[in-house]
Amino acid sequence: MRKGLAEALNRYWAWLLLLFLVAPALIALPVSLTPKGFLSMPKGEYSLRHFDKLFTSEEWLSSFWQSAVIALATSALATALGTACAIGLWRVASRLGEAVRAFLLLPLVVPPIISAMAFYRLFVPMGLIDTYAGLILAHTVLASPLVLITVSTSLAGFDPRLEQASRSLGASQWTTMRRVILPSIRPGVLAGAIFAFIASWDEIVVTLFISKFSVYTLPRRMWNGIRENTDPTVAAAAVVLISITLIFFLAQSLIARRHRASASPGEA
Amino acid sequence: MSDGAASGGLELKALTKRFGSFTAADNVNLDIQRGEFLTLLGPSGSGKTTLLMMIAGFLDITGGDILLDGSSIAAVPPERRNFGMVFQGYALFPHMSVHQNIAYPLDVRRRPKAEIERRVGEMLDLVQLQEFAHRLPRQLSGGQQQRVALARALCFAPPVLLLDEPLGALDKKLRIEVQAQLKDIHQRVGTTFVYVTHDQEEALSMSDRIVIMQNGRIEQIGTPQELYQRPRTAFAAGFLGKSNFLTANGALHALRPEKIDIAPRGKGKGANRLAGTVRNATYFGSFLKYDVSVVGMDTIEVDVDAWRAGEPIAVGTEVDLSWPDGAAVRLEDN
Repeated sequence: MRKGLAEALNRYWAWLLLLFLVAPALIALPVSLTPKGFLSMPKGEYSLRHFDKLFTSEEWLSSFWQSAVIALATSALATALGTACAIGLWRVASRLGEAVRAFLLLPLVVPPIISAMAFYRLFVPMGLIDTYAGLILAHTVLASPLVLITVSTSLAGFDPRLEQASRSLGASQWTTMRRVILPSIRPGVLAGAIFAFIASWDEIVVTLFISKFSVYTLPRRMWNGIRENTDPTVAAAAVVLISITLIFFLAQSLIARRHRASASPGEA
Repeated sequence: MSDGAASGGLELKALTKRFGSFTAADNVNLDIQRGEFLTLLGPSGSGKTTLLMMIAGFLDITGGDILLDGSSIAAVPPERRNFGMVFQGYALFPHMSVHQNIAYPLDVRRRPKAEIERRVGEMLDLVQLQEFAHRLPRQLSGGQQQRVALARALCFAPPVLLLDEPLGALDKKLRIEVQAQLKDIHQRVGTTFVYVTHDQEEALSMSDRIVIMQNGRIEQIGTPQELYQRPRTAFAAGFLGKSNFLTANGALHALRPEKIDIAPRGKGKGANRLAGTVRNATYFGSFLKYDVSVVGMDTIEVDVDAWRAGEPIAVGTEVDLSWPDGAAVRLEDN
């Protein structure tokens, strides 16, 4: 009985904590449905006018597509770099390699504002400020460590004898990589790609520093929307942003679950 | 099907492998005949797997050379040595079907599709897994997976097949069954088999020759009969089968437990005799094991045919142990 009670309390606290964590994000949902022209909780009346504005306004739509392009390009680049790096470090497996790994994970540790200033100082003379290339590069630097982590985790569970088996059967290192190693670590690669997409999709600090007029991502437009007026379109944009992030996150957990299911032994 | 028989003679010349200050293989010289079933037998850390990995090309050699049919392969990468290999735990590709696994070596060699189909079909026949061709490895039992690994490693008709404790994951009954299958397949394909194990029964039942290894060195090489009947060192006598060790005429001798006769005191009839007392009798179904204490010696083990012996001798009985001349083998000093 005691144990049952403790368990119930535990669960109760867990849900409360969860609510505490997600409530601020969820508040955007009712606010986005307000019929008023300023940020407010709707009272009895609901309206989709802010969503309507979001999807018809040229500015908001353009920001949406810009964010999407930058996030997709970042995801592709970071996945390629992070995966190559993880495989390289896995193969080397030395103390020096571990030092290199720690160094490569630094972008996760360095405060974003410091990274932002560094990118700014670096990009001004290179003419990369306010360009797609600049944003994609900066976001790639921030997102690659995430891929490095997820792919390294997959590689940790990879049986190195599979690689030896492939080579003993006559496959070159490259063929082995393509046909044996990559398929085995695919869940880690996909998870990394999704995390990289999300990281770029809602990145704001670095973006504020290195973009001005011509590149205007969704988080940037929301930031300005809140700063300059109290247009509830921002709340509608937040709902869309969160939804897309959630969709990608769910996709990732589905992939992970399917992989776990297929990794568990079936009946003979 | 004797496609591997045209080549496959291996020669290890002063082969040495050091990891830092540890010598895993120490100046090993070994001739492996083409078509032979050769077993490297030893405890873990004896260097048998190191030797196999050097032959496969996954470990660089520190010194010496490896020759295949007379030419050095020391610098050839594993994928171009053309040796089949069966791994501990099988190392089947989990995302490929049985068919795709077996076809893999031909696939990466870009053989024509018709040839691949024919060859994979032959291999599935050889290991009797035709109806499992489209299953994934995890849908097979351990014994079936082991056969897929064997078919995959033999599919490209390698001159040499390397096997690294391939039966370690199977239960005992299945292991004995697979031993017979392996031996049969070896005879049918004619490929040189180099087999690593720490299991003396596996070594005895399958091998043409056994190499007993210890501390990175070859302890003794010979046919199973030679090694069992005439072990040269105490290690060989103790590792392959059981042995009692006696000192006679200033030299150590090995005496197999089943070569000793046991009889009540005064009724012993062999040329060589010891007086002792039965301390323990254990029934194993096919044989009875007696532990007999002899004054001034280690306990002596005696195995007798349980059915022929009839009633076991009671614990505490005073007995005579005897054996014919030649039963005890004089060992070399180490």
